[in-house]
Amino acid sequence: MKHGITELEWNDYLDDRAAAEVRDRIEAHFIGCLECWEFYEQVSGATEELVEASEEARHGLTLEDRQLHLMLRGVFSRLRVEDAGGTVQAQVRGRLNLLETVLAPFCGAQAAASALQAAAKNSPARSLEQVTPDNWEPFLEKLTAIAAAMCGETFAGLIRESGQF
Amino acid sequence: MPKHAGGRPAGDGIPPAGTYVEEKQVIENFLATGAEEAFCALFEAVCVRLRRYFLLRGLDAATAEDLTQNVFVKVYRQKGELRAADHFYGWLFAIARNELISYWRLEQSGGEKVEFESLGDRHASSLVTEPEVLPAMRLMDLLKALEPAERDLVVLRFVEGLSYEELAVALRLPLGTIKWRIFNARKKLSRIIAASPEGRARQRIN
Repeated sequence: MKHGITELEWNDYLDDRAAAEVRDRIEAHFIGCLECWEFYEQVSGATEELVEASEEARHGLTLEDRQLHLMLRGVFSRLRVEDAGGTVQAQVRGRLNLLETVLAPFCGAQAAASALQAAAKNSPARSLEQVTPDNWEPFLEKLTAIAAAMCGETFAGLIRESGQF
Repeated sequence: MPKHAGGRPAGDGIPPAGTYVEEKQVIENFLATGAEEAFCALFEAVCVRLRRYFLLRGLDAATAEDLTQNVFVKVYRQKGELRAADHFYGWLFAIARNELISYWRLEQSGGEKVEFESLGDRHASSLVTEPEVLPAMRLMDLLKALEPAERDLVVLRFVEGLSYEELAVALRLPLGTIKWRIFNARKKLSRIIAASPEGRARQRIN
């Protein structure tokens, strides 16, 4: 605060939004304080210049219809790509759930969940959350090997078959 | 060819916040229905402002358009988060600012960018109609003198006409802090303008 006027009061006054009491106090102060008057002149002048420069920027940075529509197409294209990604991830989740359902009756629910996690961890996916169609095959190979060790080759064949996309 | 300037009508020099009736209706319609048609109308009304924000924050035209599209994807996805149209611009520019920060972080870390579906050469070349370098504007000179956080405030307040309340939402800061920072940016700019040849000439005339 300088000369009894806070920064917020100055700002409101410059915006012409100060309360009547504040405005009167500042204007009464100007009569006896050249320093504050000059400060006000300087800052309000800068604000005017800023407003004019902003107006110039608003008019200078426009978009033609053609650009606008191309950008809108781009947005819908991105939304479609994201939707497609979401569908694929849902398919992967569904396939993982199926494998767990096939494994659980033979080795127990906890061991089934652990087998899936171990297969993911030891494959390029590194975790179940990161399993995608791109790294599905090595993941399924690891899971088949784990199933063979736990329940034998016949059961491993069933896992391999169930895991095919 | 028609051009979109994307602004709210000027009143006291600063475009008024959230009061442009047509624009407000478009926003309300989108928030109420979430329909694709309403989204397209919103895009037409607001796109130019987002792109301009990114340009004035120093991005080239292609990156500004890329980030603008990212913001609209998020707006479409997260439309359920917002109910009141009055808070729309604060919410929108909060998303835009996060997008900008993420972009800069990625640039600084030299990270790999994820590319979206290509539009093809024919469309891609027609997207870049603005020169990479912005036209010379007084505002750019003024902004250069400010800190990045102050530039955000000045662009959103004076160019985009956000109210102090909307700025508080966009920048996640208390109202008093917003006013205090705006005042300090004004003070800083006034010193710079006063020291410039034009400013000195004006002082001599006065």
